[in-house]
Amino acid sequence: MTETPTETARLLELRGIDKTFGTVQAVRGLTLSVPAGEFVTVVGPSGCGKSTLFNMVAGLDEPDPGGVLRFKGRSCHAHELLGRVSFMPQRDLLLPWRNVIDNAIIANEIEGADRKTARARALRMLPEFGLTGFEAQYPHQLSGGMRQRVALMRTFMFERELMLLDEPFGALDALTRSMMQRWLLDVWERHRRTVLFITHDVDEAIFLGDRVLVMTARPGSVKLARPVDLPRPRSAELVTSPEFIAIKREILAAIEEESMKSFMATGMRAA
Amino acid sequence: MSAALALTARRGAAGWRWAAPALLWLGRLILGLAIAAAVWEGAVLAFAIRPEYLPRLSAILATIAATPEAYVAGFLRTLLETLIGFAAGVVVGVLNGILFLRAPVLRDMLFPIFVVSQTIPVIAFGALVVLWFGNTLLAKAVIAFYLTFFPVTVNTLLGLQSVDPRQIALLRSFGASGRQLLLRLMLPAALPQIFVALRLGASLSLVGAIVGEWFGDTTGLGVILLQAMYTEQVTVMWAAILCAALLGTGFYAAVSLAERWLVFWGAEQ
Ligand SMILES: Nc1ncnc2c1ncn2[C@@H]1O[C@H](COP(=O)(O)OP(=O)(O)O)[C@@H](O)[C@H]1O
Ligand SMILES: [Mg+2]
Repeated sequence: MTETPTETARLLELRGIDKTFGTVQAVRGLTLSVPAGEFVTVVGPSGCGKSTLFNMVAGLDEPDPGGVLRFKGRSCHAHELLGRVSFMPQRDLLLPWRNVIDNAIIANEIEGADRKTARARALRMLPEFGLTGFEAQYPHQLSGGMRQRVALMRTFMFERELMLLDEPFGALDALTRSMMQRWLLDVWERHRRTVLFITHDVDEAIFLGDRVLVMTARPGSVKLARPVDLPRPRSAELVTSPEFIAIKREILAAIEEESMKSFMATGMRAA
Repeated sequence: MSAALALTARRGAAGWRWAAPALLWLGRLILGLAIAAAVWEGAVLAFAIRPEYLPRLSAILATIAATPEAYVAGFLRTLLETLIGFAAGVVVGVLNGILFLRAPVLRDMLFPIFVVSQTIPVIAFGALVVLWFGNTLLAKAVIAFYLTFFPVTVNTLLGLQSVDPRQIALLRSFGASGRQLLLRLMLPAALPQIFVALRLGASLSLVGAIVGEWFGDTTGLGVILLQAMYTEQVTVMWAAILCAALLGTGFYAAVSLAERWLVFWGAEQ
């Protein structure tokens, strides 16, 4: 690790985490630490264990015994993190029988919040998520971009220090995506949560992150942790600046190396 | 279950937009029925069909109009038996489905027994039930129940098992308890599948009630049907058939309407 945050400021810490599914080792010796308030983006070849990492941090999957998982300075089992982390999976997974507002407050309802208060709060947040006037619409009446914003709103409504976003913009077209990136930074700067953000788009990773983690091919671990020392707030022109390009070149080289590895590995198996 | 249903039932004022197509549909339905009635009446007259084979529709209606109380009483009695049996079958079926999902051991133990129970012909089962419960309303409801609970059990289990595991994972990550998962996700998600069984059960429970009445009773559409058969009153028999058709269709339509109201999101995903 390049930096050494103090014990208290470190919100999440993983050391030597392994995860095996049957005969497949998805993650091996994964080590990372996330200080409170940081926006960390994760890139890596597909199938390298990014979603597996999230499932463990969300409390859904227990890592293999042996590793260390610490949250808020305390060592814990993954399942103890259920209900303590705000998780947005790769798909929006909206409930088709709930309208926009009721989808946005589902997590609050589950933690026992008063439904009326939660609805009122969600209603006030609608404009910020570009959903004004859509509160009574059902998911099947919304476009892909809007569904994604409802899912994001659900994630923000569930106020936890750590947010896990798994390729939230993966299914959107390029234009909508860059709009959503700037919008997300805007929202993030106001709400200030710690964010772990998976993407397969290197530009997106650099544009959003305080730090970019590049993962190795499966079994996944952190190959490179590259701080992004670009000033905030960030504007769209940033992606063409020399500093940005330099970081991008470094990250692309690391990804290229890993992609080659996984390509060779599958190629050898096929032969 | 009721909590989950109440959740799904909430909707905006958009319901009124259905009104125009619904009226159009109703108009076509009435037109269709009128044509069928005219063809029936006309065919009997034109081909001089003897009333032993097929009475005129107007004669059947006149028979009902002559002693409407008997038909109304029979209709209501059979309706009550059907509804009680159906409701019990739905409740037990849904609970079975939930139980079998939670306890696969119980599923493996009880499911084969359920299957065997369904292979008993409904007539034989009816005889047994009347032996046990006598000629009571309960006995008929039990037969209607017997035909309903099994499809509801199977479809509830099927629906619960096919809930998207990623959706379950998402709600678990929010800290949802088993009960919250069931009420807020699994039952609503299984609703389309459960309704497949409810539509089936609507027809089957009526069959159960009518078969039950054949083992002896004093009121009910099945009773009218059987007595008319013995006394060779063909018009009365047709009148009873018409009433049963009305009951069956009305019940099926009510269940379908409830389905359209509750499962408004369609077969998305
Ligand atoms: N529940 C599971 N059972 C078996 N294998 C799994 C499971 N989840 C993930 N894997 C495997 O682990 C590897 C990493 O998957 P994943 O974390 O989804 O990758 P990605 O980086 O694309 O998100 C893949 O090879 C995948 O097939
Ligand atoms: Mg993934």
